[in-house]
Amino acid sequence: MEYFIQQLINGLTLGGIYALIALGYTMVYGIIQLINFAHGEFFAAGGYMGVILLSFLSANGYLATNPWLCLSGSIILAMIYCSLLATGVEKIAYKPLRKSSRLSVLLSALGMSIFIQNGLMLTQGVYDKPYPSIFSGGGFDFGNIKISYMQIVILLITILLLVFLNILVFKTRIGKAMRATAQDKTMSSLVGIKSDRVISITFIIGASLAAAAGIMVGMYYGSVGYNMGFVPGIKAFAAAVLGGIGNITGAMIGGLLIGIIEIFGAGYISSEYKDVFAFIILIGVLYFMPTGIMGENVDDTRV
Amino acid sequence: MIQEFKSKGKNYLIGLIWFFLLLWPLLGIHSDGTLSFAKAFYVWFYIFCASIIVVTVYIIHKKGLTLPLVKPLASATNKIYGYAASMPKPVLFIIIGVIAFLFPFFTERYAQDTAINVLIYICLGLGLNIVVGMAGLLDLGYIAFYGVGAYTYALLNTLYGLSFWLSLPIVAIFAGIAGCIVGYPTLRMRGDYLAIVTLGFGEIIRIIFNNWMQLTNGPNGILGIKPPAALIPSFANGFSFEYLYLKKLHYLYYAALLLAVFTIIVVSRLSASRIGRAWEAIREDETVAEMTGINTFSLKLLAYATGAVLGGIAGAFFAARMRFVSPESFTFIESAMVLSMVVLGGMGSIPGIILGVIALIALPEVFREFELYRMLAFGASMTLMMLFRPKGLIPSKRMGVRSEEKEE
Amino acid sequence: MKFKKLKLFVLTIITAIFISAGAFAETLKIGSMGPLTGPYAADGNDIANGVRSAIAVIEDEGGIEGFDKIELFAEDTACDPRQAVAAANKLINSEVIGVIGAYCSSATIPASEVLAEEDIIMITPASTNEKVTERELKYMFRMCGRDDDQSKAAVSFLKYKKAKTVFIIDDKTTYSQGLAENVAKGCEAAGIKVILHDHVNQGDKDFSAVLTKLKSKAPDALYMSLQNSATGSLMAIQAKRIGIEATILSQDAVYHPQFIDIAKDAAEGIYLTCGFMDKGTESYKNFIAKFQKITGTDKSGAYSVYAYDSAITLLKAIKKTGGTDPAKIKEAMLKMNYQGASKNISFKENGDSSSSYIIFKVENKNFKNHWNPETGELFSETK
Repeated sequence: MEYFIQQLINGLTLGGIYALIALGYTMVYGIIQLINFAHGEFFAAGGYMGVILLSFLSANGYLATNPWLCLSGSIILAMIYCSLLATGVEKIAYKPLRKSSRLSVLLSALGMSIFIQNGLMLTQGVYDKPYPSIFSGGGFDFGNIKISYMQIVILLITILLLVFLNILVFKTRIGKAMRATAQDKTMSSLVGIKSDRVISITFIIGASLAAAAGIMVGMYYGSVGYNMGFVPGIKAFAAAVLGGIGNITGAMIGGLLIGIIEIFGAGYISSEYKDVFAFIILIGVLYFMPTGIMGENVDDTRV
Repeated sequence: MIQEFKSKGKNYLIGLIWFFLLLWPLLGIHSDGTLSFAKAFYVWFYIFCASIIVVTVYIIHKKGLTLPLVKPLASATNKIYGYAASMPKPVLFIIIGVIAFLFPFFTERYAQDTAINVLIYICLGLGLNIVVGMAGLLDLGYIAFYGVGAYTYALLNTLYGLSFWLSLPIVAIFAGIAGCIVGYPTLRMRGDYLAIVTLGFGEIIRIIFNNWMQLTNGPNGILGIKPPAALIPSFANGFSFEYLYLKKLHYLYYAALLLAVFTIIVVSRLSASRIGRAWEAIREDETVAEMTGINTFSLKLLAYATGAVLGGIAGAFFAARMRFVSPESFTFIESAMVLSMVVLGGMGSIPGIILGVIALIALPEVFREFELYRMLAFGASMTLMMLFRPKGLIPSKRMGVRSEEKEE
Repeated sequence: MKFKKLKLFVLTIITAIFISAGAFAETLKIGSMGPLTGPYAADGNDIANGVRSAIAVIEDEGGIEGFDKIELFAEDTACDPRQAVAAANKLINSEVIGVIGAYCSSATIPASEVLAEEDIIMITPASTNEKVTERELKYMFRMCGRDDDQSKAAVSFLKYKKAKTVFIIDDKTTYSQGLAENVAKGCEAAGIKVILHDHVNQGDKDFSAVLTKLKSKAPDALYMSLQNSATGSLMAIQAKRIGIEATILSQDAVYHPQFIDIAKDAAEGIYLTCGFMDKGTESYKNFIAKFQKITGTDKSGAYSVYAYDSAITLLKAIKKTGGTDPAKIKEAMLKMNYQGASKNISFKENGDSSSSYIIFKVENKNFKNHWNPETGELFSETK
């Protein structure tokens, strides 16, 4: 039983991380139906920004005196940085292609992903960078079960973001504009919504979420590397699709589900085949629910 | 000209400031707690200078001042195009064939090796073209079939000693079965749901290659695969035929050329056939295609199977040429690369895809000179090519405007 | 996008200048292969930098007679067999005498077949697959030790620690898995029970599931066989977090200062097997001085040192024969017996090099010599 609970906690944490990335992913995805390969790279850039700022602060001694202030400041700066990066990428690589086939944008995104990943490698070096250890230690012990503070923080932040995004999308004006743009760009521009601006804002939100996720992951695992965005990017894509494309709650559920399946697959059956279990369940779910768990009606969109 | 500068200048300046904002934190904040401005500024300044030159050249070009330089060049290329177009097709094919045949006589092994890769990827790209370009099904796990082909031949050859040419039909059958297995559950899905499921299948197959120690030898890979053999005319003791393993690169090149030509013929015949037209109908509008009496279920499955067979054959040749297979050759990024070749070249267009393959295989080799900057340059050029030719290098003539894209 | 295009443009010009400048002198060309991009770029760059250090050292000593300078062609394999073969062909076209590389066995094996066709000497600093030297290629050498040698040291240390049960984790690469299997076999033979031999996948970051499993089985020791030091530090951190008390033993791929930098406290007390590196020797000091000059840091991992020794061996052999005849160079290499930076270097007929593994322990953020399996004694400084 203890074993089961510990694994469940592990699964929830890993799922929380996937969900964190998938939330930003699904926002962008829902609005322009772009498989944004570069999203994983925004996540990595956020992680790097976090490590750069935090080690700068810690070397100057601010981190020891004001840890919370430093951390929140770094997160905000990293979010701004990633927003800048994302706006640039969107303006250069995606916007000119908005009227062409979706596969052209996909390819452009793949090019950007390779470019940013290698840009990070060249500017930041090939070695992984250590995070200053401030919050990573410590936790609660219940007998043999251990929960670290970081695990709780990750889950809390994921849930908070979920609530925040749902309010944003369903209760605010900009959310309404987003939904309208996602539904039909022509119609929404006819009723006075600047769809280009809405798309840019969505990109900014998505990239800032990725930046926050990058810092969380960096702090949880203790290091960041230039290629850290690739695998989580694919997992987040899977989570977003499993939950239903463009559905925020769905992305969260999808992320948690994939995380839990992986951990239980590894913990109870075989850890080398854990990704296989995750993908088999993904395929099974999509076979019976072709639009994902929370997906809405079948639309006729194709390649 | 000054006005031109003014109109471009604002965006250009914003771009430069934006770029500096992105660059500085990466190069200017150090983990030992110091800030520096020099390094980031130098990098930025180099780019600034170079970009000024390019922008100036671009504006001069726009103003038509370079016309005297460009015009003879353009007219020359136009002439060549016109000449090629006016030539009867068989003559054109013969010329290309002769050039392809004579290629190894004028080149060294590095060029031949790259050419073999290009030919293998032409087979792959054309195979994927059936699924993505003709039938309109997005497939992100295509490399799995390549892997199935490679491993099938590797196992047949190392365990049972079957020769390359004899193995090919078996390889085709196995790859076709794999195509059906992947195709079947995906038939109900559309768009990106399809993409993630095919991606999942691709990963599953790679993980199985990596973990099924007894069969595939896991990450160690399979060694000692025999290259294809052929009867080579020999003039040593009079005229006779010798049965030889094709170890030399130029022999392998001809074998690859043979496979590529075979694939090109198959795909071009298919696209002109009833089946090809039915696939295109499914791509343009599945619902309407179904209404007109096309059996979308079996045709989509057939698209997957045909694509898989072509990929599998390319894989078998890959195994025979490397004489070694390991799971590292079949990662997701390879699938993405093959897809890029198809999209970049122009979906559904055979000459386009050939050009796309040449671009994406040759570019990383050309960029070898940049060492560490190799993939950076590659990523940038991929985006650039897409920006300049969003429909592909040579777009297919029969590609329609799909309903959901027409609206915008 | 303009800017990126420009960067490219500038680069083209710079490289063009470099290439044209290098074309005149009588140069000795050697190549290196390794993953300079992609997930294993860290180790690939370590290898290239090791070779660069070696060239700098030899040039300082007065270079090689008959050649004005030594030029290095560092090619990228990205750990992909296809690109490795392309790189090998490129090196052949550049007319290199010898090649240091590659890193992944799956790149080394196909590349070596190509190089063998042209009688080019290849010394791998990192590929441990026994098949690398067992294919009877004439000019294939290996600088790193083989799996079987290293696993012997690991097993005897576990015996010395009186471990009764061991849990083995590897990350499914040729190297890590081969080593782990040899350790498992050795443990069974030595009467140490292997509770479970589990695998994780390359590129995984989260090991909580497998470590929780390990904790529930409560073994005496954990043998951690991983492909690179970054993965090692991730696992060490998570093992500490989850509260694992078993003795942790790892291997030479984890021997990198980066491991301690990232894992911090979690690295303390972890043991690892690596070739005996006497940091007091002349050759090690030469190496580290040049390495620091080239990379700006004295933090060198095992792969850099192996690559350095490989290159030094090759260049020394060329120097001795005074020419570029591969058969003579091979003969000279086989006769060699000198103290290198990583170990005492001598080659067997099949191309394998001798090796002497010892146990290191991480203490106070440093790798300390801990225990010598040959004598079965602790090193004096740790007593």
